[in-house]
Amino acid sequence: MTRSSDRPPWGAIAVFLLPALVVYTALTAYPVVRTFWNSLHKVLPNRPDEFVGLANYATLLFSDDTFWRSVRNTLVWACASPLFEVGIALLLALALYAKVPGSRFFRIAWFTPVLMSYVVVGILWVWIYNYDWGAVNALLRLLGLDTWTRAWLGKPETALPALIFVTTWMWTGFNMVVLLASLHSLPSEVIEAAELDNCGWGAKLWHVIIPLVKPTLLNLLVLSFIGKMKIFDLVWITTKGGPLWSTETVSTYLYKRAFEWSTFDLGYPSTIAAVWFVIIMTCVLVLTRVLRTRDRLEY
Amino acid sequence: MATLTLDRLSKRYASAREVAVSDVSFTVADGEFMVLLGPSGCGKSTTLRMVAGLESITSGDLLIDGARMNDKPAKDRDIAMVFQSYALYPHMTVHDNLAFGLRRRSLPRDEIARRVREAAAALGLDQLLQRKPHALSGGQRQRVALGRAIVRHPKVFLFDEPLSNLDAALRVGMRGELAALHRRLSATMLYVTHDQVEAMTMGDRICIMENGSVAQIGAPLDVYAAPADTFVATFLGSPAMNLLPATLTTGGSALQLGSQSLPLDGPLAAAAARAPARDVLFGIRPEDLRPGDAGASLRARILDVEPLGAETIVRLCPEGLGSEMLMRVPRTFSGRPDEIATIAVDLAASHLFDPATTRRI
Amino acid sequence: MTAILGRAFLLLVLTLYTAFAAGPFIWAAMMSLRTTTEISNSHFGLPLPAHWEKFPQAWFNSNYSVYFANSASVVVTAVAILTIVGAMAAHCLSRYRFAGNRFVYFLIFSAIIFPPQITIIALFQTLVNYGLYNSLVGLTLVYVAVQLPLTVYILESFFARIPGDLFDAARMDGYSEWSIFWKVSFPIALPALATTVILNTILLWNEFLYAVVLITDEAKRTLPLGIQRFMGDQLEDVGMIATGLMIAIIPVVLIYAFFSEKLIQGMTAGAVK
Repeated sequence: MTRSSDRPPWGAIAVFLLPALVVYTALTAYPVVRTFWNSLHKVLPNRPDEFVGLANYATLLFSDDTFWRSVRNTLVWACASPLFEVGIALLLALALYAKVPGSRFFRIAWFTPVLMSYVVVGILWVWIYNYDWGAVNALLRLLGLDTWTRAWLGKPETALPALIFVTTWMWTGFNMVVLLASLHSLPSEVIEAAELDNCGWGAKLWHVIIPLVKPTLLNLLVLSFIGKMKIFDLVWITTKGGPLWSTETVSTYLYKRAFEWSTFDLGYPSTIAAVWFVIIMTCVLVLTRVLRTRDRLEY
Repeated sequence: MATLTLDRLSKRYASAREVAVSDVSFTVADGEFMVLLGPSGCGKSTTLRMVAGLESITSGDLLIDGARMNDKPAKDRDIAMVFQSYALYPHMTVHDNLAFGLRRRSLPRDEIARRVREAAAALGLDQLLQRKPHALSGGQRQRVALGRAIVRHPKVFLFDEPLSNLDAALRVGMRGELAALHRRLSATMLYVTHDQVEAMTMGDRICIMENGSVAQIGAPLDVYAAPADTFVATFLGSPAMNLLPATLTTGGSALQLGSQSLPLDGPLAAAAARAPARDVLFGIRPEDLRPGDAGASLRARILDVEPLGAETIVRLCPEGLGSEMLMRVPRTFSGRPDEIATIAVDLAASHLFDPATTRRI
Repeated sequence: MTAILGRAFLLLVLTLYTAFAAGPFIWAAMMSLRTTTEISNSHFGLPLPAHWEKFPQAWFNSNYSVYFANSASVVVTAVAILTIVGAMAAHCLSRYRFAGNRFVYFLIFSAIIFPPQITIIALFQTLVNYGLYNSLVGLTLVYVAVQLPLTVYILESFFARIPGDLFDAARMDGYSEWSIFWKVSFPIALPALATTVILNTILLWNEFLYAVVLITDEAKRTLPLGIQRFMGDQLEDVGMIATGLMIAIIPVVLIYAFFSEKLIQGMTAGAVK
């Protein structure tokens, strides 16, 4: 039995859908297509675009060391972040799940970092990492660990880990809130049953709780991964990719090639965008496919 | 008030191979309460929605007072409908729910107010007009849904299983109120249900549907007493009519049920004479069987006795026959399982069905 | 006894994490009320006395009034358009069955995961072509396009839960498809609409990448751009930068204070499926 009429009212459908489709076509679909088109051309201002075939792709993939450097940085970031963010978030969520007083306050407080613009966050952490008076070095000096102090964002070895630390700080609360909601939606008998089975805390976590919230965990891991594959703002505010390309991400490199370097060619950066787009979409497809084929949990 | 005519109304979905509704024809007279009865998926709701204008008509004609309605949109048919889920607008007060349909019809403001007041008073909603639906009980929501139809003063009322979301006690009460409402308004009503009690108690006539087609139309007791085929026979009545495989003896003077035989006379003999083949189905309702040997009788083993309080249902197996049958007797029945009992059969109330076509002979 | 100790330990850890999560903001808030000279003397001192006059200074002398007004007008306009356009599309996709429905839904839905880099260069070219580069109108339109997929996605799943009988009832009551949307769907969906409004407001208020590519004019900078520029020009004036940060943060904090649950709901809507 159908609930809606069988003859679709095309007039109404057109009126409702048209504005969204116009916006989508003009400002999302068309730019995507144009970017791919750009990637096969040399695109200079005030000059007709010059077809170069796959030359941009060849240069990018086989002789652009900076690009590969940025790919490596981005991948390190995208692979490390989810583990920290989601792992710590799970521990925090379990702590709040244990009915601590003030859990509502904690939840709201921890969520705040994700509400702030990367610009604000970036500036705050530039200060926190400041060599002379930043909070990190101040704390180390207080603990008598003066030898550990350094210019965290100024050294190639520490800059990327320092930024990964910032995104972890920013996103852990968000992941915690989602996991907490997922934990609360579990039937409490399941967790109580584990209580009765008298298994240890670690065993309970590993054998009962993690399998139950696994769908949420996986979703969050993927979400965090994709987020870091796109990251731009934080790097741009803090290090602009430096020092010595140690924090260059694909996004910042693309931006530099398109709008900062005085090459003026928009074709090559479009190639970066196209390649990176294909890689991200493939990752998303593969990840969701791998994660979805697992049978759904029943409890 | 109006006459509603369905003339060979059919519905076929583009995506489906089967027709959902095929050649449904009947006329609901002015002021008549017609019930569409059938199991779920039989096409009764689709038929109702075609009448309402919520579903297009594939073929056939829909007439209200003789005017063809097929291509008129729902809003121009002057029909009101009460939905199974009530479909109250959750963001509006009871008052606005009642007035919503009137505001569209450019009625004067005081006329709208008058009609809303009237309907609210008739349904006992006066005190609830400023509430929102979520603050109402199931029964009150049901009344608002009714009120929304009443204020419209439509030509035809449609009901789509309006009582199925109520609990049993409320349902009995609302059944009475609906019947009273129909008497008071003497409006033309078409009512869809799968509940035979609702159909029997409220309908002036009932139309039983099966697999998209009309199986039988008639006054409730007529249909009950003379079902057109085995589907109607078993669908109406609880417990259902017993259907036993039987053979007509040569000459048609008796009916062979396994090793036992029943003499035929009167209408049943006439039916036997019309039978196209010797194999038939013998149909008899549980209440038309009783213990004893007055008139025609069968010997049967008692399999089971279920006292329900007001009455007792006995499960029997006629000797020499593989099938079972049910008998409805007063609670004083004293038989026990495994006893052999003699059961009197009221032949005047029984029927023969053709097993090939399932039609009554 | 161990239970009490364990509980105390747990509380200690939670409190420390709270200090870690909120500390940077509190530090910035304190600095926003102190002069740069005071800050240089002691970076972690309390704002005593509090220099409230720094806020009007930043507002009037450092152009923050302009940045704030630009951000506000772009965000309010974009969110208003998004709400109406997104609600209409979501209503249509959830309510009508028609050939291509799921195709359109998939098109819009898949754009949620598009990285912004795939459109940014071509958007730059397109806006230049149409004279919308370096204009707040152009930025507003881009913001609508950027947030539209997520908005439609969140609203569609809400609209799909409105029972179809309501629309049938409204049709029987004589309303057209257009007025059914405005009088039935839209008001019923207000809670979901509020979620998307708050979510979009926060995300666009914080948006940086599209703004930095599409806006160069000082008079057209949004807050994130303005702060970045101020940071670049006055790197040493930590006190004033902190004041600027607070000006950008305060609207977000206010929204969060009043609608924390709605906001959390919106932000996490995409994550829980």
